[in-house]
Amino acid sequence: MAVLKINGEDKIFENAVPSTLKALLELLKVDEATVVAEVNGQIIPRNSFYNTILKDGHKIELIRFVGGG
Amino acid sequence: MKDKLIIAGKEFSSRLFIGTGKYSSNKIMAQSIEASGTEMVTVALRRVDIQNPQDNMLAAIDRQKYLLLPNTSGARNADEAVRLARLARAATEINWLKLEVTPDPYYLLPDPIETLKAAEILVKEGFVVLPYINADPVLAKKLQDIGTATVMPLASPIGSNQGLKTKSAIEIIISQATVPVVVDAGIGMPSHAAEAMEMGADAVLVNTAIATANDPIKMAQAFKKAVQAGKEAFEAGSAGIKNQADASSPLTGFLRD
Repeated sequence: MAVLKINGEDKIFENAVPSTLKALLELLKVDEATVVAEVNGQIIPRNSFYNTILKDGHKIELIRFVGGG
Repeated sequence: MKDKLIIAGKEFSSRLFIGTGKYSSNKIMAQSIEASGTEMVTVALRRVDIQNPQDNMLAAIDRQKYLLLPNTSGARNADEAVRLARLARAATEINWLKLEVTPDPYYLLPDPIETLKAAEILVKEGFVVLPYINADPVLAKKLQDIGTATVMPLASPIGSNQGLKTKSAIEIIISQATVPVVVDAGIGMPSHAAEAMEMGADAVLVNTAIATANDPIKMAQAFKKAVQAGKEAFEAGSAGIKNQADASSPLTGFLRD
């Protein structure tokens, strides 16, 4: 069993966490073009999603634009 | 004289900036933005709703036509604002930012100390910083001195639609400004926007008054006209106010003996 903390909530994976940030976004059905991500507090540029390796216990923030004033 | 609004080297024909919150749909939002004639729209950053990951309001905004101005809403201190700013830059690949730090959720008044602190960091990092502030002339001066691209004093609390409660302080800010003054927050009706422009404000930022009007598209058009009218009136120059009547018709040649 492995865990990622995604947007403040634990997400449990039976075997292992998705190998990369890109794989996680595909699993969650999040369009990578619309998000900005932090892994363990560090901003990941969109063009590095595919080679950002995820490990058990990592903290992920997935953020996007919403309406605001 | 018809001078253009220039912020950080970028020229704007429209002096109305639009917030994108509170619209009933992305479609109404897009049509209202179009009707307003604006060239800059604000957006906020929030966590993706993992249960509903498809929602993407940005698809409704034509980024060729409208400059995105991400805000740091939700930040309660300088550290949170700087973090949001960096995320916004990663997301937009441009460095424009509406800096707002509002620790108190009831009045949403901006924290001057944390705003100044964040502005100092972000200006050094190369951001084009448009700080949302209370109508405090001393703070406005400090911000422009450290290199913010504008100052954006509030008319009244965010979303309150109360209009220009801070008028006399904004007049002082305008009188000493070396950067454009954008009146932000609390503008509830086109007449308020016109009044701000008549005072010599460089632009206004409006969200709630348009987004939550019965007919947002029509209200956006009304704001567009009001901002233009107010600007033209400022350029034309007020005829001034007098304490007694000053007849418009001649006081001679009356039909009486």
